[in-house]
Amino acid sequence: MTMKFATTAIVLAMAATVGAQAQEITGAGATFPAPIYTKWGEAAKAAIGIELNYQAIGSGGGQNQILQRTVDFGASDAPMAQDKLESGKLLQFPTVMGAVAIIVNLPDIESNQLKMSGEMLAEIYAGKITKWNDPKIADMNKGVKLPNMAIAPVYRADGSGTTFVFASYLSAVSTEWKDKVGAATSVKWPAGAGAKGNDGVSATVHNTRGGIGYVEYAFASQNKLTTLQLRNKAGHFVKPEMASFQAAAAAGDWANAKNFAVDLIDRAGDRSWPIVSATFIELPMDPKDPARSANVMKFFDWAYKNGSAMASSLEYVPLPESVQATVRAAWHSKIVSPDGKPVY
Amino acid sequence: MSATIAVSGTVPGAAKNIAASVQLGRSRHRTNTVVKSLCVLATALGLIFLASILFTLIVRGFGGLSTTVFTKSTLPPGSHGGLLNAIIGSLIQTCIGTLLGTPIGLMVGTYLSEYASGSKLGDSVRFVSDVLLSAPSILIGLFVYALMVAPFGGFSGIAGCVALAVIVIPIVVRTTEDMLRLIPVALREAAVALGAPKWKMIVMVCYPAAKQGIVTGILLAVARVAGETAPLLFTSLGNLNWSVSLAKPMASLPVTIYQYAGSAFEDWVQLAWVGALLITFGVLAINIAARLVLRVGK
Repeated sequence: MTMKFATTAIVLAMAATVGAQAQEITGAGATFPAPIYTKWGEAAKAAIGIELNYQAIGSGGGQNQILQRTVDFGASDAPMAQDKLESGKLLQFPTVMGAVAIIVNLPDIESNQLKMSGEMLAEIYAGKITKWNDPKIADMNKGVKLPNMAIAPVYRADGSGTTFVFASYLSAVSTEWKDKVGAATSVKWPAGAGAKGNDGVSATVHNTRGGIGYVEYAFASQNKLTTLQLRNKAGHFVKPEMASFQAAAAAGDWANAKNFAVDLIDRAGDRSWPIVSATFIELPMDPKDPARSANVMKFFDWAYKNGSAMASSLEYVPLPESVQATVRAAWHSKIVSPDGKPVY
Repeated sequence: MSATIAVSGTVPGAAKNIAASVQLGRSRHRTNTVVKSLCVLATALGLIFLASILFTLIVRGFGGLSTTVFTKSTLPPGSHGGLLNAIIGSLIQTCIGTLLGTPIGLMVGTYLSEYASGSKLGDSVRFVSDVLLSAPSILIGLFVYALMVAPFGGFSGIAGCVALAVIVIPIVVRTTEDMLRLIPVALREAAVALGAPKWKMIVMVCYPAAKQGIVTGILLAVARVAGETAPLLFTSLGNLNWSVSLAKPMASLPVTIYQYAGSAFEDWVQLAWVGALLITFGVLAINIAARLVLRVGK
């Protein structure tokens, strides 16, 4: 007990000294945007004097911590449910978008040489297409020499926003997948083997001849993995690259998306990459420390204005400017201090 | 055993019995060889794992070792950051955690050994301490989260220290009790016979006699908590920036490794290897120090 009181006293004493310098902001949540938030943090510290501490504890953890108000903002890949946002008095807004790429390990196949459709991916992950020289794959890839080799699908064994996005895509293109498996941060995979993290999936595919897996685009691009072209909704084959991600982002129905939870999966448009999603921030609408919340908004406002090039350099898709404007308006109208004035 | 059989069988049919005992000796020799080789195999297997871990760490960690690791804090991918904030954070939290936990552990261990032999309260305290010793460290992190983080509305370095202290306590309790129990009764009786009160006997006779063992226990506790990730995740959280304030989130090597190891970016993955190398050799150094302390004492 004495220890508890002693530490309580220490914490209170420290907390009193901290109040003076509120230029620090703390956030926690999704792993996927951690590199870009860190990058923005480094640049913003020099530019506007706000020191960001972002800790990648996972989307679920981020949502829980902001509900508990132990951090200044939470971050999650999958948008938070409407009722949770309401009961937790949280405002949600997107920061950047990212894409999921399909990686394979096949002898003598170059990156983006092989073409596939979403339906075929669903059948591979359902265990129905089991050979690389299956007639369905061969038909779509005339002229490519496909080996008589078993397909080894690899999925994320841990709960993950990437799995949610990929399974959402399979659900969007295959009603059978939607009915039997569905989309969640972890699903009951009918076929294949699990691996932990994007790095685990990359490594497993890399070490398994005939392997196929899904990873965040940054992993495919940074580690020079062999990717696939996918057929989008318009029937065109597209490569996983910044231009096709941006096309998908622009095709999203942002105006009608409640809480900015826009659906960027399998969008229309000739050039749209079909597996794109946004990542989100959750911010209290009734901040207990308005100055810190104002700094969070100041930080992301600065990042919207100045951070697009940094985002692209780390393989993220910046938010369209029209959406940024809507987010700013939401900050102004929804986040108010106890006296009713806008915080930022 | 075989000798007894041979002797007891000398009267009727001695030769037959000798043959039987030779047979028995052979079969025992065989069993002995098999078991011995299995033991050697198991030892080799264990050593191979250890050696391969150390080898991989050295091969992959040394490549990234440079002065920036010790002079710069963690930075975004491509900015050539270091691990300074994480190294200092780990040192601070491990030291304060040990300082908080050791006195409590020492006193509980002393109570169990000197005052509570055979008492019901002593038995229950010992039981609870043993349960705590084997509790998953993530639970201890969540306990401190509920105690200090959620009520105060923020992660803090001191919460990380307390979580580590809770892990230190049962380790020190166990080693202190065990070491004090090893002290001969004659030594205690001698002190009491000279008129020393019980507290004086404990402080001036038992502690000095058990010093080496107790110090070893503390060093092992330090080695254990230095590499803990789980209790820090929900208490000190981690910090990207340079910070030594116990009231703010604090960086640590294990949490940084945890976050960097699975990254897409080569420089972060490299730093995770370097961090792992630093922790492993730090812990190895503490373990060796513990052995030296033990040896000097003998």
